[in-house]
Amino acid sequence: MTLTRRQILGTGGGLVAALSLSPSAVWSGEIVEIKMQGRDDGSQVWFDPIGILIKPGQTVRWINLNSSNAHTTTAYNPENFGQPLRMPKAAKSWNSDYLLPNESFSVRLMEQGVYDYFCIPHEHAGMVGRIIVGEPEKHGWTEQAAVSGDLPKEALKAFPSVEDIMMNGIAWRT
Amino acid sequence: MKKLALAVVVTMASSFCAMAANDVTKSPPPAPYQQVSKLVKLPDFLPGMGQLFVDPASLPAGPFLAYDHDGQVVSTIYMLPIKDLNPDKRFDNLAAPGGKVDHVDVYYNAGHPGVEVPHAHVVLWHVSVDDEARVAK
Repeated sequence: MTLTRRQILGTGGGLVAALSLSPSAVWSGEIVEIKMQGRDDGSQVWFDPIGILIKPGQTVRWINLNSSNAHTTTAYNPENFGQPLRMPKAAKSWNSDYLLPNESFSVRLMEQGVYDYFCIPHEHAGMVGRIIVGEPEKHGWTEQAAVSGDLPKEALKAFPSVEDIMMNGIAWRT
Repeated sequence: MKKLALAVVVTMASSFCAMAANDVTKSPPPAPYQQVSKLVKLPDFLPGMGQLFVDPASLPAGPFLAYDHDGQVVSTIYMLPIKDLNPDKRFDNLAAPGGKVDHVDVYYNAGHPGVEVPHAHVVLWHVSVDDEARVAK
């Protein structure tokens, strides 16, 4: 997995398969974009899509489109504040640190498996997301994702199911 | 008599200076208030709230003082973690330096740098409902 430095919106934006993405576009190997969004009054915050299926080696880019808040994309990994491991053991952890409006952060995911992540100031409000990397039919990932660890109940409740992501290729925030 | 008059003038001048030093109606407010965007990573001007200042020692409750684009105070905001609204916790004697209150808003906030847990914003507006537009964007 390769971490890239924070980027400002506009640099390389043309490469992004902005997620009016169909599942086939996601599966084609382009960079996929996950938006960090929220209401102006801060009453609701979310990742969109909240779940996505990609290929090994594909790059995911998060961008903060919330004009009144800062967000992070932070892997569930003991390296990040002792959080439980909710990603493949062989994969490298990531933490974007705070992204201001229009800032972005990218990771390239190589290892197959389920990756769960959260936003530091909003984990307790259920701002989490799930990425599945690999061929849907080859792995029994449901069991791995079912290990809850010590997470806020709002976060656990917010994860889309592995089955839904596998079936549809993408899970939008509803 | 002259001495008395002089004493009155000196006292009034001292009081005026003290009031000016504590004046929070214009940005920036005096110490110990600090600009929130310099304490944590947040946009300097927050749509719907304005430019915020807080005494770090008062976190998380505040008060936060909010200013419009012209540096005029528009509201005093308290941020009360939802988990602390319980029978064993109180928020007493919170400072209220912003002056006359026109109306009050209370609403839920999911969190942000500085107050990283869901909390309630209690907003004492020092301007009219129509003038909230001064910090809308």
